[in-house]
Amino acid sequence: MLRLVGLRKTFGTVVAVDGLSLEIRRGEVFGLLGPNGAGKTTTISLAIGQLRPDAGTVTLDGAGSPADPHVRRCIGVAPQALALYDELSGEENLRFFGRLYGLGGSTLRQRVARLLDFVGLTERRRDRVATYSGGMKRRLNFAVALVHEPVLILLDEPTAGVDPQSRNAIFEFVQTLKSEGRTVVYTTHYMEEAQRLCDRVAIMDHGRLLALDAVTGLLGRADRPTVVVVERAAGEERIETADPKAELVRALDQPDVLGVRVERPDLESVFLTLTGRRLRD
Amino acid sequence: MSAILTLAVKDLRLLLRDRVGFFFTFFFPLLYSVFFGILFSGTSKGPSAIPVAIVNEDRTPASDEFVSSLRKTSSLALDLVDSRDAAVDLVRRGVRSAYVVIPPGFGDASQRLFWGAPMRLEIGTDPGQAMTAGMIEGLVTARAFERMQRLFTDAQAMRDNARRSLEAVRSSTGLSGLQRTLLETLLTSVEALPDMFAAQKSAADTQPDGTTQPAFGGWRPVEITTSQVTRPAAAGRPRYPSSSFAICFPQGIIWGVMACAATFAASLLVERTRGTLPRLTVAPFARWHILAGKAAACFFTTAGLIVALLFVARLGFGVRPASLPLLLVAILCVTVAIVGLMMVLSVLGKTEQAVSGISWALIVVLAMLGGGMLPLAFMPPWMQTLSDVSLVKWAILALEGAIWRGFSPAEMTLPCGVLLSVGVVGFAVGAGVFRWSEQR
Repeated sequence: MLRLVGLRKTFGTVVAVDGLSLEIRRGEVFGLLGPNGAGKTTTISLAIGQLRPDAGTVTLDGAGSPADPHVRRCIGVAPQALALYDELSGEENLRFFGRLYGLGGSTLRQRVARLLDFVGLTERRRDRVATYSGGMKRRLNFAVALVHEPVLILLDEPTAGVDPQSRNAIFEFVQTLKSEGRTVVYTTHYMEEAQRLCDRVAIMDHGRLLALDAVTGLLGRADRPTVVVVERAAGEERIETADPKAELVRALDQPDVLGVRVERPDLESVFLTLTGRRLRD
Repeated sequence: MSAILTLAVKDLRLLLRDRVGFFFTFFFPLLYSVFFGILFSGTSKGPSAIPVAIVNEDRTPASDEFVSSLRKTSSLALDLVDSRDAAVDLVRRGVRSAYVVIPPGFGDASQRLFWGAPMRLEIGTDPGQAMTAGMIEGLVTARAFERMQRLFTDAQAMRDNARRSLEAVRSSTGLSGLQRTLLETLLTSVEALPDMFAAQKSAADTQPDGTTQPAFGGWRPVEITTSQVTRPAAAGRPRYPSSSFAICFPQGIIWGVMACAATFAASLLVERTRGTLPRLTVAPFARWHILAGKAAACFFTTAGLIVALLFVARLGFGVRPASLPLLLVAILCVTVAIVGLMMVLSVLGKTEQAVSGISWALIVVLAMLGGGMLPLAFMPPWMQTLSDVSLVKWAILALEGAIWRGFSPAEMTLPCGVLLSVGVVGFAVGAGVFRWSEQR
């Protein structure tokens, strides 16, 4: 679907993206995971033709380079910074961006109505965006990316600064898009989001690709084993094991056990294994 | 084209939603024009008269006649007061700009020819109004000379004055023998002079072109004619500003359109800082469309502002353009220049605050240099030369040329050419810097 080959981008002496190559498959939710400053947003900007790479190429299957304005018609972007006009209403924002993509008439009207319903803003559609909460703005920002029904949707930190309710709503939107067969690129520095939503995840740091695999595959790269934690009145016992199921059964047979839980390796521990640092350091 | 229009309409809608911005864009220039128009014209009934207190201590027919002649001077608003002290007090308190005292003896002096004390007048002025003082002195002197002139142009008055002066010389005791002889000879000749000219009257009265000369052979001690330097009036066109509003509205328009440039320049930065610009750059059109949309919004707003203000000037204050086609050309050129200025301003800073600050600093300098604050005529020569670099000068000249200066199309070429050049170069520079900064 989208192919990045040997991408490099520098800003002065800072190397933002360094020789990045990856391919995003049609219909998948692809995660770009990394700490702040890892180069995720620059990668997105290069992928949508907003920035020109110093080296490398970006190609959208069957269309060409996103540097070509016509190719960008296939792409929808929800930037990390809210890209909305506060003085316009939610409906006017959607109409404006829809018109930029050549929509009009009843098609635009219907699509705007559907999207407002999709993101739960129908009742507030005529209110100025300046009066919206952060979560509502984030949802509208998301809706704007979909107004022209793109086949490839890039969501750059879509849950940044939103309340848990809106965050869950955004998760549901992404899952809906996936069920519709759309391709989604999702950047985040929250490993639980990547783990929950993404089919495959690319882990980035300092502009470089550290690992790319399905979530289960990445978890297998963690050098931290699964831990079964057994809680007793005297305290907790942590048991590292390659067979947590057997260890659980054994623990539950013991009379003084108050509780048992399993700590599996997560993407945080994978990142720790790969870089020696935590994701949010 | 559709995308450009969509972008432009969005910017116009945003402008309408920003009530403060809308007020300063559309209503402030109108208030400016009306306020200064009224200030300079006194509701367009001609130039304001200078308030002057006059004291007639002489109280003779001659002094009364002099006061009457001053009253007829439209540039002076005369207030006859009883005493010198009252007049001085009025000037000191700033109620009047000056006072004129006609001291005793004015009437007698006005009857004498070639000898004795002259007519005396005393003028007191407010030291804070040096320019006004000069004007008053000139106006009062002119009225006094008119009176002197009548003595030489009215044959009977001259004969009577010469006779009275001759009698006074003969009865005077303060003159030497030689002085008395010379004055008697001169005054006798002056008394006879009108009769000598009367003999030639029939020959002299009729000129070859059929006009008649005034009495006394047409001779005058001095004749001053004043005129306003304007183009000959074409049918239905004004020869000079119909009122001070014809001057103030172009200046108000310039302030308004400069505000437009500053507003739209800042709005481009707002797009960048609020994140909407990156979203626009990934929309399916070339980057220059974004700039073209911004330029189109600025163009429509500027042109709309000029038209709206001129409409108010026409309906409310009777300002009629000398040439409607040339006015449309001037509006187009001013608008293009403002778009160019907006583009340059928009790339001069990296934040909205920086761009706004730089914009207004630059606008004030351009206005000062270009006559937007102070008429160019009041500036020293080197400043007048320097004003050529200000688009304000050329914008005002283009608008005035079409409104009341009666410029021909050829004369409009220079200001319009400069304005178009500013527009094109400004757009190119702004677009180049914008493109470069977006790719960094």
